[in-house]
Amino acid sequence: MKVKGNMAYKPQYGPGTSKVAENRRKQMNPNQKLKKMRDVTDEDVVLILGHRAPGAAYPTAHPPLAEQQEPDCPIRKIVTPTEGAKAGDRVRYIQFTDSMFFAPCHPYQRTYTECYRFRGIDPGTLSGRQIVECRERDLEKYSKELINTELLDPARTGIRGATVHGHSLRLAENGMMFDMLQRSVLGEDGVVRYIKNQIGEPLDRAVDIGKPMDEEWLKANTTIFHSLGDSAYRDDKEYIEYVQRIHTLRTKYGFLPKE
Amino acid sequence: MAKIERTQKLFLKSLKEKFRGQDIEGGTADYYGFDGIRQSPRKMEFLKASRAIEMDRGIPMYDPERAHLGGIPLGQRQLMTYEVSGTGVFVEGDDLHFVNNAAMQQFWDDIRRTVIVNMDLAHQTLQKRLGKEVTPETINEYLHVLNHAMPGAAVVQEHMVETHPGLVDDCYVKVFTGDQELADDLEPQFVIDVEKLFPAKQAEALSAAVGKSLWQAIHVPTIASRTCDGGMTSRWSAMQIGMSFIAAYRMCAGEAAVADLSYAAKHAGVIQMASHLPARRARGPNEPGGLGFGIFSDIIQANRKYPNDPAKASLEVVGAGVMLYDQIWLGAYMSGGVGFTQYATAAYTDNILDEYTYYGMDYIKDKYKVDWRNPSPEDRVKPTYDVVNDMATEVTLNAMEQYEQFPTLMEDHFGGSQRAGVIAAASGLTCSIGTGNSNAGLNGWYLSMLLHKDGWSRLGFFGYDLQDQCGSANSLSIRGDEGAIGELRGPNYPNYAMNVGHQGEYAAIVGGAHYGRGDAWCFDPRVAICFADPALKFDFAEPRREFAKGAIREFMPAGERSLIIPAR
Repeated sequence: MKVKGNMAYKPQYGPGTSKVAENRRKQMNPNQKLKKMRDVTDEDVVLILGHRAPGAAYPTAHPPLAEQQEPDCPIRKIVTPTEGAKAGDRVRYIQFTDSMFFAPCHPYQRTYTECYRFRGIDPGTLSGRQIVECRERDLEKYSKELINTELLDPARTGIRGATVHGHSLRLAENGMMFDMLQRSVLGEDGVVRYIKNQIGEPLDRAVDIGKPMDEEWLKANTTIFHSLGDSAYRDDKEYIEYVQRIHTLRTKYGFLPKE
Repeated sequence: MAKIERTQKLFLKSLKEKFRGQDIEGGTADYYGFDGIRQSPRKMEFLKASRAIEMDRGIPMYDPERAHLGGIPLGQRQLMTYEVSGTGVFVEGDDLHFVNNAAMQQFWDDIRRTVIVNMDLAHQTLQKRLGKEVTPETINEYLHVLNHAMPGAAVVQEHMVETHPGLVDDCYVKVFTGDQELADDLEPQFVIDVEKLFPAKQAEALSAAVGKSLWQAIHVPTIASRTCDGGMTSRWSAMQIGMSFIAAYRMCAGEAAVADLSYAAKHAGVIQMASHLPARRARGPNEPGGLGFGIFSDIIQANRKYPNDPAKASLEVVGAGVMLYDQIWLGAYMSGGVGFTQYATAAYTDNILDEYTYYGMDYIKDKYKVDWRNPSPEDRVKPTYDVVNDMATEVTLNAMEQYEQFPTLMEDHFGGSQRAGVIAAASGLTCSIGTGNSNAGLNGWYLSMLLHKDGWSRLGFFGYDLQDQCGSANSLSIRGDEGAIGELRGPNYPNYAMNVGHQGEYAAIVGGAHYGRGDAWCFDPRVAICFADPALKFDFAEPRREFAKGAIREFMPAGERSLIIPAR
């Protein structure tokens, strides 16, 4: 069975004439390189995730997949496995909480972005958190990109496995998003450090993830419409009309839209 | 869509009280210094009570400072109080959990213990088959006997056990009819008087709908209903009806005609408040999962008391509906746990949904010239796609902007599901009241959900993906000859069956269409009349006020057992 190499369909990455819409398209489009903002190391990522100790072997399927008799599965023949899948890694996760006060990324936007940029993932989207699950060594690679690029702000993006409360709360006086476990803290030097892993277990050493972005950068790069951020939803008429159109077509024709 | 000016924001008073001494439009706050649960008098009461219980039973109990998150208790942020919308009463959040609120329990008890039973079938049997005379006098005698028997007393046999009247004092039977002449001939303590209880226009419509038939509104004892289930109500009722006919009309207990009376009381002439559920969710009749939205809107009586304020009438349905469908049905019967209360209370606290809904009323008056304070089918707007899109979009955008401009408001509704339910409810209510069409209201709800999701890139929990992103396709897209769609749907409609934060609002959207048209009822006039009865323990015209009374421990319920337990 042959799979078509190039799709005839060219993704548009969503409607809208506003800066927010443009930022959304930029994040989703895998042909646009995400700007690197900080340099959190591989070991630091492993510490924040909390799934294995740095340097420990990946727990994998046993006996190794190569020694197991693979079923005669047509899907396995057409899909190239990721490194983690090939190795039989566990499926683990990273979960984010994004402040509605102009965090750079937000739950559905995260999911769409990940789907366009990563392979072999299973994202879950809620209001106060967004989780992505995948094979462990793939996860570490993807997590590094999610943490080190413009998708994250140290103060307004939280990496939280549980007890995520905070995305819609006012910011703390020092500009940090509320986290009842205070997994990350703002130092007197202006640098944010994780002192607990994403599930809230204390770390042996703090992990430095850099200084929070300033308000101007956040408002210019956010992907949430917000009337106090010079990005009122109602001002992007194309976006509103697009959603209304989708709704009307679904109402008229169910999930077989036509005009 | 175009934003309209509205200076009176109903939620401001609540926010100022909840966040006292703080700038409610400010974007920052103090955290982590509130001494955990010790900031809350109610949690401290829990702690004290638990210590006494532990000493008594020797098993640990409420221990939030150790058991919650390994030693980090609730209250790292300010634990807020809540104003029950439309009441001015501030309460602790804990007191809105149905376990802590006697009014909420009684609300559901009063529905579950109710059936409506026709009398005409029985009277025909008595007159035509047995040749007995049925007159107002004999009906009065029968009702006297029935009000003796229904709470659990014997009427025919010797040497029977009976129930203690002090335990079943909430049990009684009244009748109603559209025949005012007959109603006037019956003893007034037995009659739900439609003419006296309803506004004239509603009374006229209700009386015409009921006609000359005579119906019994039956409320079996709360204590019996709680010990058994909703399926018991019609059986308890039918047995006492049968025995009372035998006694009042001097029938032979074993004659075949008794079977006709039983059949009428148990099957042919009985109206359950809720239908039974399929095996997979097996419940008998009169359990919340079978309580359709149309009937629910008839049970709530705010439209009778406030006929010129369809928004308020609908908001009362929301409050009652989320309490029953979210807190009790989905939250306890179906799911378990305590989290659903937090979702549900958002829709009936702090006047937030109220503000968004009245914004919608101002909008339909301003743009479409709908005189919503004078409900009538005449000036409702024809529910076209454009109209629904316009109304729902404007109300949704306004609500989102309110959350944005008042960060304390966003913090109040800290969960996306809370905001999504409230924004969509205001949008749906505006469409249903504005058009007088419940299906248009549902359609407006679903557009609101799509707009919300795209604007903030988030919506509610996973369940909102399930039903709200395909809801457009099951509203306004169904053949017109399957009319009264919203009225007939209920919490077990497949697409609605699993998600908190929807069903109470759907019921209100259905009700709103009828309240907006000035209808006297939404689905069944007999249910609307039955729950107008002032003798009921719970006042169904003011559910939110009653819940507030329950929260501040001023509501007296039925079914108490103090008579038969040791004094403390």
